[in-house]
Amino acid sequence: MDRRKFLSVAGGGVGAVAAGGLLLTSGCGKKENVLKIASSLPRTGSAQGQTDTIVNGIKMAIDDYNGEIAGMKIHHQDMDDATAAQGQWDAGKEADNAREAANDKDVMVFIGPYNSGAAKVSMPLLNEAGLLQISPAATWPGLTKKVPGLDNGEPDIYRKSGKITFCRVCPTDDTQGPLTAEFVAKVLKAKTVYILDDKELYGAGIAGLFHKKCDELGIKVLGHENIVPKQSNYQATIRGIMPLKPDVLYLGATSQSGAPQIAIDMKGLGLNCPLVVPDGCYEKAFIDGAGADTFKTLTCYATIGSKDPSQLTSGPGGDFVKKYKEKYKNDPEAYALYGYEAAKVFLEAVKKVGTKDRAALLKTVLETKDFDKGVLGKWSFNNDGDTTLQDLTISKIVDGKFSPVPRS
Amino acid sequence: MTSLRSWVPALFALLAIYPFLPFAEANRGEQFTILFIYAILALGLNVVIGYTGLLHLGIAAFFGIGAYTVGILTVPFFPFQQSFLVAAIAATLLAAFVGVVTTAPILRLRGDYLALVTLGFGLITLYAIRNLDAITEGTKGLNPIEAGPIPGVAEDVDLSSLKVNSEWGVRWYKYPYLYFLALGTLGMVMVFLRNLERSRLGRAWIALREDELAASCMGLNPARLKLSAIAIGAGLAGLAGAFYAMALRTTGNPQGYDFTLSMIMVCCVILGGLGNRPGVLLGVFLLMGFDRIATNMLDNLIQEQIGTGGSNYLKVSGWKLSIFGMVLILMMRFRPAGLLPEKRVACELSEGVGERGEETVNTKPGTG
Amino acid sequence: MLELFAQSETAQFGQFLLLGLVLGSLYALIALGYTMVYGIIELINFAHGDLFMLGSFLALQLSAWWLRYVVGDANSAGAVIGLLFVMLLVTPLACAALNVATDRVIYKPLRSSPKLTVIVSAIGVSFIFMNVGLFWMGATPVKFPDLIPDTNLTPDTGVVVTWKDVMVIGVTIPAMIALTLFVKFTSLGKAMRATAQNPTAAQLMGINVDRVIAVTFAIGGALAGVASVVYGLYIKAVEYQMGFQNGLYAFTAAVLGGIGNIPGAVLGGLVIGVVGELGKAYVGAKWSEALIFGILILVLLFRPTGLLGARIREKV
Repeated sequence: MDRRKFLSVAGGGVGAVAAGGLLLTSGCGKKENVLKIASSLPRTGSAQGQTDTIVNGIKMAIDDYNGEIAGMKIHHQDMDDATAAQGQWDAGKEADNAREAANDKDVMVFIGPYNSGAAKVSMPLLNEAGLLQISPAATWPGLTKKVPGLDNGEPDIYRKSGKITFCRVCPTDDTQGPLTAEFVAKVLKAKTVYILDDKELYGAGIAGLFHKKCDELGIKVLGHENIVPKQSNYQATIRGIMPLKPDVLYLGATSQSGAPQIAIDMKGLGLNCPLVVPDGCYEKAFIDGAGADTFKTLTCYATIGSKDPSQLTSGPGGDFVKKYKEKYKNDPEAYALYGYEAAKVFLEAVKKVGTKDRAALLKTVLETKDFDKGVLGKWSFNNDGDTTLQDLTISKIVDGKFSPVPRS
Repeated sequence: MTSLRSWVPALFALLAIYPFLPFAEANRGEQFTILFIYAILALGLNVVIGYTGLLHLGIAAFFGIGAYTVGILTVPFFPFQQSFLVAAIAATLLAAFVGVVTTAPILRLRGDYLALVTLGFGLITLYAIRNLDAITEGTKGLNPIEAGPIPGVAEDVDLSSLKVNSEWGVRWYKYPYLYFLALGTLGMVMVFLRNLERSRLGRAWIALREDELAASCMGLNPARLKLSAIAIGAGLAGLAGAFYAMALRTTGNPQGYDFTLSMIMVCCVILGGLGNRPGVLLGVFLLMGFDRIATNMLDNLIQEQIGTGGSNYLKVSGWKLSIFGMVLILMMRFRPAGLLPEKRVACELSEGVGERGEETVNTKPGTG
Repeated sequence: MLELFAQSETAQFGQFLLLGLVLGSLYALIALGYTMVYGIIELINFAHGDLFMLGSFLALQLSAWWLRYVVGDANSAGAVIGLLFVMLLVTPLACAALNVATDRVIYKPLRSSPKLTVIVSAIGVSFIFMNVGLFWMGATPVKFPDLIPDTNLTPDTGVVVTWKDVMVIGVTIPAMIALTLFVKFTSLGKAMRATAQNPTAAQLMGINVDRVIAVTFAIGGALAGVASVVYGLYIKAVEYQMGFQNGLYAFTAAVLGGIGNIPGAVLGGLVIGVVGELGKAYVGAKWSEALIFGILILVLLFRPTGLLGARIREKV
């Protein structure tokens, strides 16, 4: 008997909560004139450190206007495109977020996603809805332009409405990969290189671009292999590389797809060539995961488009870094700059347009030229929706921190 | 029992008129569509686990095969460009075929060994999808999937005149009618399975589940019966996968078809009521509804009301695994036969199945 | 030149084999927990892998506390040995206690329920454990202190054997021997075997079945605890999802060897370790997992009850 009672009570409770939730979500929202910035980033899982810093950047941009422009309250909706079970982005979740945002009449911009793979999912949905999308971190070139040698219909397949709705404030991998190769050739004076990648859109993409440039520069690529993310160790892979004695090991992966473990195993097995990683590893989580001690003996270079926060000492950039440290009691990570820049370029457009008009805001943002209100310097969006700021910073990991080194 | 019988048609009717209600949000409808799809998957799994008692831990593989079949047959950069109808039929048939071919050799395995082999099969399928870049695009996912509904109809027909209400979509993939199509298919699957349960085949499955030895003595062919169950179950999973790819408009990352999904589907089926269709439906709506809809909603709500500052402790999604776990444990403790138990299973439970478990231990291979 | 090449090729093979054996013996330790529990109550304990994960988190926490409150500096050999001792003592005990408690609270009331019911409960427990791990250490991989040196002990042979390899073998082999002796010769061990064969008859003979089950869970948990410490020291990084992956391997090992069979679990673990690592080295990392399960399916096709399952009828 009491079992049945328990169940009816429990069932009733669940029902009530669900019903309450439905009522509340449908009930509120029409109180005041709200303009929403939706962001969809992996907020659970190992990218969280990086996305925290992006979200902080967005919030700081909103704070610059005291949360209000032209009589509209600016509200930030922080959506998560990762699931706890997978610890990384999930296609279903990203699609849900995109639809949720597209459907909400108050949402005027969709900031995100973090992963290029996720961008492939949300881009067509948002394009159809005509909602502006600014990614602070998705770097796969094919999202905005045709990749030479790849004939899979990119980027038109993401633009069914025929219009561009996606733009990004981060440089693309076709800058990062080749410039890294030049660095490897000129500064590290490498003659041979071994390449590993995680087979994801981002990791494999950037490793491929790096590989191509190496071939052009005459660096000998001793091998190019895939790793499987989430494997407990990569000792067999590293052992296989050791007899080849490469001058440099390039790893196209992120801190979520095994990069820290590769660093650990390289040190453990004594593969002492420098490790070069792309911006997916340019985060504290990578150093924490591999242990700062690991990089005492292992030389590791990480690359990232544009600037490292530590390079910003003066001007608006310096102010930003200072304010960030005061507010969050923490050093900003590199992506905080992009989060801030993405929100800032949008909010400036809001200031110009002054109404909640998706089409007008989209047009204004994409036509942004010589934007200098942010922290990265002066830049514009080109016709593809890419930033003209195609720079690269290379940092060496020293004492558990990224410290920029000269690129040539 | 009669009251239970009537709620299912009532629910379907309610869902069918939902889009016409003035407060219906297209977004909600899109989320419901995903639930209908998972329900088809769970019903397929229920044929295998519930009707014949084979513990299959790799159902997600068939789901993935279905999704990727649709992907390959419809994406722009392959030369096939089939309509959704053709692709979905192909997906169903292929999944059923793969199901039969991979299960036939392992039928002689005993319960848990079979479970592990199905799990292994699921993983191998996943790795095959991941590694065969040439046809599956590896981890990138095949997209965009936006096939026309039936052969001869172009994919980008303007359907704005078909708007259900002001909120609900304009074009084919933006619903209104993928919602109705998924709901209708789910309804048809329910009816099909009801008829199947009452048919000769359905009764033979139950006999097999209850006592394989007795059933085979009565002239039933266990191998053929099990294979037919797998074929139907895997076929339904493939169909669900076809709809999933269509609803997402991409196959997504192969990770979406991994063991976790199989495991959660098993939980849905058992939580709802093993072998009982309305129960399975309820199990899916509760578990997957919580996972896909309620968590997001509650998270947004909490964020709007309090503001979480990104803390995991203040997010329902941070506690999701625990909530899932608690629900499963409490349900199994207080309602082991599921929310809506099948009559026969419920009777067995009250008779004490402890004996039954032991029997299987002791009657295994007569060679000993 | 050619000879030198061949030699290094052999050395390389030896190296992969060693790696496989080391990892395999770790899987074996975890698999023992699966197989013993299965032998007694026919439960596929899906939470076992996550128990292992929690064990390694505890060990990590212990080392942090040890460094902060006890020694302050890890460099002295005494401090390291002391820490190892503490880890290897506390973690297995905690894991054993947690495993027994889980059984008491969650599985015990379900003894007479059908198997699937208990499996679903175990999945539930596994979710909760994962959530605890997620809150405890976050979702990012965390570095485990590098306490054991990577010095090559056999510089002349071409195969690198480090203190880490020695440690894994030195901990796992004695643990397995102790377990075998325990099950073979102590009265409790005999009671376990009896219960595994026929619980009802065992109860009629005066064996306290509940106690035997509790002991089984305790031993299984303790072995997972030992494995978790050794794993952390060997792999040098832990994360909350590692329980799932390694649990899956261990479960596979248990089934491959013949579930319910102790030597079978060990053999299964070693086979999976070796196949996995050789696969990574010679077939390619991306296929190694598919290879493991492919071999599993092949083996089960020809030996439907696992490698040792049919021959040795005794379980536990």
